[in-house]
Amino acid sequence: MKWVLNPYDEFAVEEALRTKEQFGGEVVLVTMGPARCREALRTGLAMGADSSVHIEDDNFAFSDNYVVGKIIANEIKNLGEYDLIFTGFKIIDDESVQVGIHIAEELGIPHVALVSKVVRIDPDQKRVTCQKEIDGGHVIVDVPMPALITCPDAMNEPRYASLPGIMKAKKKPLKEVLVDDINLEALGLSRESLGKDGARVKTTSIKVPQIERKLKVITGKDNPAVKGDEIIESTHELIKLLREEAKVV
Amino acid sequence: MSNEVWVVADLKLDGSIRKVTFEALSEARRKLVGKIGGNLCGVLLGSGVSNLAPELGKYGAEKVYVVDNELLKDSNPDGYTKALADLIKKYEPYIVIAGNTNLAEDYLPRVAGRVQAGLTMDSIDLDLTDDNRLKIQRYSHSSKVISTQEFLDHKPMMTTVRPNSFKPEEDQKDPEIVNESVDFNSEDIWTNVVEIKAKKSDLPPLTEADRVVSGGRGLGSEENFKYIYELAEAFDAAPGATRAAVDAGYCPYDMQVGQTGKAVSPNLYVAVAISGAIQHFSGMGSSKVIVAINKDPDAPIFKKCDYGICGDLFELLPPLTDEVKKLLQD
Ligand SMILES: Cc1cc2nc3c(=O)[nH]c(=O)nc-3n(C[C@H](O)[C@H](O)[C@H](O)COP(=O)(O)OP(=O)(O)OC[C@H]3O[C@@H](n4cnc5c(N)ncnc54)[C@H](O)[C@@H]3O)c2cc1C
Ligand SMILES: Nc1ncnc2c1ncn2[C@@H]1O[C@H](COP(=O)(O)O)[C@@H](O)[C@H]1O
Repeated sequence: MKWVLNPYDEFAVEEALRTKEQFGGEVVLVTMGPARCREALRTGLAMGADSSVHIEDDNFAFSDNYVVGKIIANEIKNLGEYDLIFTGFKIIDDESVQVGIHIAEELGIPHVALVSKVVRIDPDQKRVTCQKEIDGGHVIVDVPMPALITCPDAMNEPRYASLPGIMKAKKKPLKEVLVDDINLEALGLSRESLGKDGARVKTTSIKVPQIERKLKVITGKDNPAVKGDEIIESTHELIKLLREEAKVV
Repeated sequence: MSNEVWVVADLKLDGSIRKVTFEALSEARRKLVGKIGGNLCGVLLGSGVSNLAPELGKYGAEKVYVVDNELLKDSNPDGYTKALADLIKKYEPYIVIAGNTNLAEDYLPRVAGRVQAGLTMDSIDLDLTDDNRLKIQRYSHSSKVISTQEFLDHKPMMTTVRPNSFKPEEDQKDPEIVNESVDFNSEDIWTNVVEIKAKKSDLPPLTEADRVVSGGRGLGSEENFKYIYELAEAFDAAPGATRAAVDAGYCPYDMQVGQTGKAVSPNLYVAVAISGAIQHFSGMGSSKVIVAINKDPDAPIFKKCDYGICGDLFELLPPLTDEVKKLLQD
């Protein structure tokens, strides 16, 4: 299996690259995870990012989200000045839906969640205006930079890595940071608070959801396309089943 | 440290309380409050929300904390973060629950970070361990698995709950009201809300709807999506869509159901001209009853639905809409 870039993070990388194309600057990828994450970083570099930082966490898998947020935030601080941070809205495996926002909280900067469109970036005023999704509509907000933006689907169409891009990526900087090298105390963390055993939330079991489906398919005589009176009959039949058997209407 | 279980009310843009709040109050009362020997409390954050407290009392809240402040209007996440974090620091609740809405996804992680709490999102089951730690279940890995997660004994324990997962059940109380004023500094509020565009719709919101009617690429055009809206209206359902339909520009992204869209769990899910991709199922596979309408007898969705009609949507939807209308009007 290829270790792919989380799809939401593709939107994040794409948005960062577009911002760079418009305003200049540099795109740095930061990730924390096991060694196989490097493949994902290579993909991002091949798409056009300039450099990357990999925080190796082989011994600390399943750390709490806020711990991950703290460590990533710390590494971002070490990189120096920045204007915008893009993260995915969620990770599609574990789906904790929060690490990006923890990073913003740790850095003490604003975040804008679920941004469907970056409307305007004002480098002089240092403000970013975004359209974001809210329950029941959307809203236009602006916040001071530096700021963190979380990216949903439909924000953009991520580019593919080109062949020259892939070749170039091989020479781009990939910095390794070991968790052991981090001054945890300075972050208010201890070794015990890392990894699965220190987690405030721990997964204790998993199961495959079992929902039995009835699998009743109504077809007309001239299957596949239903013709003539059959239509009324089949829709009628469906409604009857929904009412009498499934009891949902 | 108190033994209070808090449910933070989720408000709609029109200022009314969402159904998920009543579901959360009901389930917290049934599963958590008695066992830990605590009190069920509501939390109202917003602007002009003081009068909503009795509604929380109707579903069992014995006490309601209210922060009524101008700065909390327009669901400003910074205001919500500060208000809830300050309340938590002051009263130290045992458990804090909210509905899994866009707003909760926006500000609760920040609150959890600020008060150093564990947080899980989108629970479909609430329970306690033998030693009274919160234990929840949630979908993950594109809904392919349900994981059980336990909290460390570290309070508060925070979670959001998926709409439509718990039965709302009234339990009339006359709640004590605790009005709290929060001191906002100018640096607490970064977000400047320029404009709100509410969707004009009488239909229920997608994630909370009891019924959902979704359309796929087979609809063929934005215009044809009217068939979906009409059937949805007849069913009093929320309209939804696949990513293929959204990408083709037939409808807006906020209708997208699936792995990278919304997760829904209605009683009835009608999938029209949808092939049944795993990424779509990850957003609606937990629906109680799934109906598929597709002209391809080999469409994968027919292997994962309760009822299906194999036929052309353009021939089937008009009579179906008429029949549903007739049926539900009587
Ligand atoms: C990372 C990633 C994330 C994704 N996230 C999502 C997501 O969140 N949500 C999502 O939905 N998808 C998602 N997808 C896409 C998913 O894989 C499918 O491509 C998509 O769901 C297909 O949509 P569809 O069923 O509308 O289209 P199709 O697969 O093209 O199916 C159209 C169906 O319509 C039927 N049809 C055509 N005409 C008619 C007619 N006249 N009458 C009746 N039936 C007709 C056809 O028989 C066919 O079965 C994601 C994919 C990836 C890679
Ligand atoms: N270990 C990590 N390294 C880098 N970014 C991460 C990590 N975990 C989460 N993120 C970012 O936070 C987003 C939300 O993740 P999650 O909260 O795990 O669903 C992701 O889309 C990433 O952009």
